[in-house]
Amino acid sequence: MSMIEFRAVCKDYQGRRVIDTLSLTIEAKERVVLFGPSGCGKSTTLQLIAGFVTPDAGDILIDDEFVATAGKNLREPGRRGVGMVFQDLALWPHMTVAENIEFGLRAKKIAESERKRRVREMVDLVGLGDYLNAKPGELSGGQQQRVALVRTLAVAPRIVLMDEPLSTLDEALNVQLRQEILQLHGDLGFTLVYVTHSRDEATALGARILYFRHGQIDSTAS
Amino acid sequence: MAKRLTLAAAALTFAAIGLAPVLTMVARTFYVDGEFSLTAYQALLAAGQQLTLLMGHSVVLSASVTMLAIVVGAPLGVLLGRTDLPWRGVFTMLLTLPLLVPPYVMAVAWFAVLGRLSTPATAQFLSSTFFGLYGCIGALFTAFMPVVMLLTIAYAGTVNPRLEQAGLLMARWPTVLRRVTLPLIAPAILFAAVLVFLLTLGEVGVPTFLRYPVYPVEILTQFAAFYDFSAATAAAIPMLLVTLLILALEIRMLHGPGLELSAATLVASNAPIRLGRWRLPLLGLVVAWTLVTVAAPLAALVIQSSSLSVVADALARASDSILRSVIFAMTGATLLTALGFFCGYLVHHRALPFWRSVDALALFLFTLPGAVIGIGLISLWNRPATNAIYATPAIIILGYLAQYAVLPMRMTAAILQQSPPSLERAAQLCGASWFMTLRYVVAPLAKRGLIAAWIIAYVFCLRDLGITMVVYPPGADTLPVRILTLMANGAPSLIAALCVILIVATLAPLGAAALWQRRAGLS
Amino acid sequence: MRKFFWIAAVILVVAALAYWRLFSPQGAPTVTVYVSHDQVFSEPILKDFEKDTGIRVRAVYDTEETKSAGAMNRLIAEKNNPQADVYWANEPIRAEVLRQQRIAAPYLSPNAVGVPKTFRDPQGYWTGFAARARVLIVHQDENPKPTSIFSYADPRWRGRTVIANPLFGTTTDQIAALFVLLGDERARAFMQSLHDNAVKLSPSNGDSADLVARSQFAFSLVDSDDVVNRMNRHEPVTMVYPDQGAEEIGCFIVPNAAVLIAGSPHQDAGKKLIDYLLSKETERKLAFSDAAQIPLHPGVATPPGLQPIDKIKAMQVDYAAIAAKLQAIQSFLKSWGRS
Repeated sequence: MSMIEFRAVCKDYQGRRVIDTLSLTIEAKERVVLFGPSGCGKSTTLQLIAGFVTPDAGDILIDDEFVATAGKNLREPGRRGVGMVFQDLALWPHMTVAENIEFGLRAKKIAESERKRRVREMVDLVGLGDYLNAKPGELSGGQQQRVALVRTLAVAPRIVLMDEPLSTLDEALNVQLRQEILQLHGDLGFTLVYVTHSRDEATALGARILYFRHGQIDSTAS
Repeated sequence: MAKRLTLAAAALTFAAIGLAPVLTMVARTFYVDGEFSLTAYQALLAAGQQLTLLMGHSVVLSASVTMLAIVVGAPLGVLLGRTDLPWRGVFTMLLTLPLLVPPYVMAVAWFAVLGRLSTPATAQFLSSTFFGLYGCIGALFTAFMPVVMLLTIAYAGTVNPRLEQAGLLMARWPTVLRRVTLPLIAPAILFAAVLVFLLTLGEVGVPTFLRYPVYPVEILTQFAAFYDFSAATAAAIPMLLVTLLILALEIRMLHGPGLELSAATLVASNAPIRLGRWRLPLLGLVVAWTLVTVAAPLAALVIQSSSLSVVADALARASDSILRSVIFAMTGATLLTALGFFCGYLVHHRALPFWRSVDALALFLFTLPGAVIGIGLISLWNRPATNAIYATPAIIILGYLAQYAVLPMRMTAAILQQSPPSLERAAQLCGASWFMTLRYVVAPLAKRGLIAAWIIAYVFCLRDLGITMVVYPPGADTLPVRILTLMANGAPSLIAALCVILIVATLAPLGAAALWQRRAGLS
Repeated sequence: MRKFFWIAAVILVVAALAYWRLFSPQGAPTVTVYVSHDQVFSEPILKDFEKDTGIRVRAVYDTEETKSAGAMNRLIAEKNNPQADVYWANEPIRAEVLRQQRIAAPYLSPNAVGVPKTFRDPQGYWTGFAARARVLIVHQDENPKPTSIFSYADPRWRGRTVIANPLFGTTTDQIAALFVLLGDERARAFMQSLHDNAVKLSPSNGDSADLVARSQFAFSLVDSDDVVNRMNRHEPVTMVYPDQGAEEIGCFIVPNAAVLIAGSPHQDAGKKLIDYLLSKETERKLAFSDAAQIPLHPGVATPPGLQPIDKIKAMQVDYAAIAAKLQAIQSFLKSWGRS
């Protein structure tokens, strides 16, 4: 059973074809890396999965259910079971770490005691228990990455999308966080779709690597 | 779905409030005594040459005021917003004062200053130069320059400091300001320029007082001297063309997609620019400028009113009006901020296909003389069934919403521009409803901007004359209206005292807001 | 964020309460009046009316000097659902326009008795009271002084006279009166002679009076109250009633006018207000305030500096005819003002 499926999806921006008749299948709990140069359509693919962008042609299925078809989103982003770590992390600067993590749980109308427990669990998972009341601006780069990560995981999405989240970190931290991501994936069992243009990250994280070029998967590359 | 419905509802509400009265007026221009007729437009064409001349005057005046306001206002904004100039806050407050009162008050104040220096030379100056184009430029420039200055201050503070730091590694501050900061806030300055141009274009009080024949005065003449609503509305249509032209120009200059910003969670703002040896000379310049353009005219007003009995008389005559002014303006500002927020969201996200029409309509209503909107409101709402609106201050509030929506709307759009789309998307992915996203993410992030929008809306509602004058319910006038009606044969000292009271009434909530912001900033 | 909502809520509640306080229907009877007479002078009269009768007055004020689209426009725009009960016009021409547009209702007030017939509508659509005279304000140093409005055409004062914009206010009325009195041809010739003699335009009568007081012009045609005010302030001006000779046309008199509005909500209170305005007491107050109006009732004292009405040779002209003429010469006045 496939978790994500693209059937001949096309997307144009201002007359330029960004995604060109893309078909792909990603299985449940798989780790897939979308790898390629800038502007090859990797990030757009993530946005199509998340539902921020509507395909011009083709169909997108999640969990064997149609979520988007040519020109139409059938399921809104919040109801696709998808979480995302953004390139800029998108931590809400006016909320504390705890509030950032709690927000999704609150949106899902989870009771307060359960919310508190989950927040605690999440920060402990990445060793940030002392920073519950800190604002994102007060954290280091690595700490911010971790908060963004567990904020996404707190609502237990089936699919986690990551858009070059480690690109601004130094080598040592980058390696360390890759390990943490692998660990979390193993523990929590989500489907991971990871976008990067770094060969090292791709080989470290991808059970399967898809090479993107001109909005298509280049099956000849290796 | 909730999002599209809400935004559509906001846009429709605005259209109903703003467009309906104007359409009623336009429809009336085609009927004379119940029969279809083009008389109003034929008369307009017949007067074409004269009207072209008047429109020429209007455009020359507006362009001059806009140009001066940018040349002075933008550098002043940078100086007061970003440098270590002493007493920046005080100067910002002082230089903003002229914006807070109806522009004719500034003209009256200037006249008081020049009248005081009664020498043959000033008499000559008064009749030859002050009364005419140059006086209008001077008075309106002092009145509207703060628009550019304030928007520059507001936006120069939000430029991503990293972008400036990157520039500072290669060049010194003046170059960075010119090449990095100012281009980055160019949209804000352009918007300020559009505002100043349109404010000047629609201004009636100052040109009337200083005897410079401009186009909108012609429209009022149609109203006031001939009671000819059709002719007056038809005459307002060329104003629409000028507005559309300005809008097209703005769209052209801002064409191309904007940069997608990143969430700057890590970056603190840059330290103030050190002026070094330029600090004192620049301080002197700002002091001199403040003295001449603000302190002198306002001091003339204060001196004229400086007697307890006069102030007591003014308060006795106007205390109800002051109360009403403040309440109407607060209500108007609150509703404007709410409506402007949703419409601004619509414009920023281009969430519905007709977003550009909403923007254009708001801008057009802003340009239209208040009297035209006012008479439109009467035609539309003065029916026995809607007396609850027409015979109460609700009608004034509707007028405010129609005329000033563009301010909070554009400000909201500009504020939303400041935060990266990923913040909202992250909330969406969490499964948050649109309202929840607005309440916990968008609104808190835009809080400072929304407060600023509220204050601007408050100021414009408080000093409104055009609409209020035409629709205020009997016995419920506002302070600016009262000042204007008392000006006919009222003692100059009384008028001056009322102007001073108007300034104080405007400043009080602003002071409270400033204190609140400061406390919020500390906590 | 929560704080923000609280503050918004408090503001809304306060606004709602204030709204209720200010506009809830109250027990006391009310009357709505639109006023074109200067607010400084009319407001105290209306306050006295409230005190004397217990009827609450809601007023809309207007001002001729600022050319605002005020009371008259509202009256016309509100024709189908009138809000005003009474219109206090500062000159009878506007009242006539209201009669012609069927906005005025007839009312013969008992207090109209004694007001000369020239100054009221025979059917009671409007009734005049407390008048201004159209006079010449002349700088003290001017010798000899002008004695007629035709002095505007006298080469002796070429380029040294000023007149308020004839598109507005009492100046329009007076020119329309001249058209009625002299006929179109002679009136147009007179207007042309103003151009030929380099007469300057000012925005209002008040401005004209100031310009003469500041020695910038020799004389100007203004309202009598404009002159009285400047004389009270000891400015170097005097007042001349023009055209008083036996063969001359006389001085144009502009009374205030009280009009009952047709179909308005408080007709009875409106009539009471009109009675009050037309009373000798109101005329006396308006005469001795800075408004310096000339009483029309016989036997009401006249303030110093003004002649009683029966001592002035008034221009004999029908105000209804002037109102009609006013519409007819609109485009002429517009083009005259521009050239």
